[in-house]
Amino acid sequence: MHDYRSMVELLKEIQALEFGVYELALFLDTHPGDRRALEDHNRLVSRLNQLRKAFEDRYGPLRLDSESPYPYRYINDPWPWEIQY
Amino acid sequence: MTRAENMSKGYQGGMRLAEVYIPIQTYGETFDLKNALMYGTIFPELYRPYRPVHRNPQ
Repeated sequence: MHDYRSMVELLKEIQALEFGVYELALFLDTHPGDRRALEDHNRLVSRLNQLRKAFEDRYGPLRLDSESPYPYRYINDPWPWEIQY
Repeated sequence: MTRAENMSKGYQGGMRLAEVYIPIQTYGETFDLKNALMYGTIFPELYRPYRPVHRNPQ
């Protein structure tokens, strides 16, 4: 059970990071010259990639375009709508 | 054609079309990401949740 909770916490952190990256991308659409915003964007992107890798190494592929160990693990549960946040 | 004639085109009810002035946003503080996800924005200046004002019924 403990592992499930830590999986969900890590997933929530990934989701928050994804949202942050998306918001900064929208800002950069209209402010491509804003250096600080771009630095923050790139910082979040690298942290996001780091967390995604950590998640996938431990819990399996997150997305369709994630690598999977054998046998194909993407179809394992929990499915996104089954996750209790 | 005069400016007045131009302005009367394209709408009814004698009201002018809107002219929008949007000040450019500058990059400042951002919310902590976990809160930002709940607020729906990372920018405090854009966070304006709709809060109905309870008018007492006349």
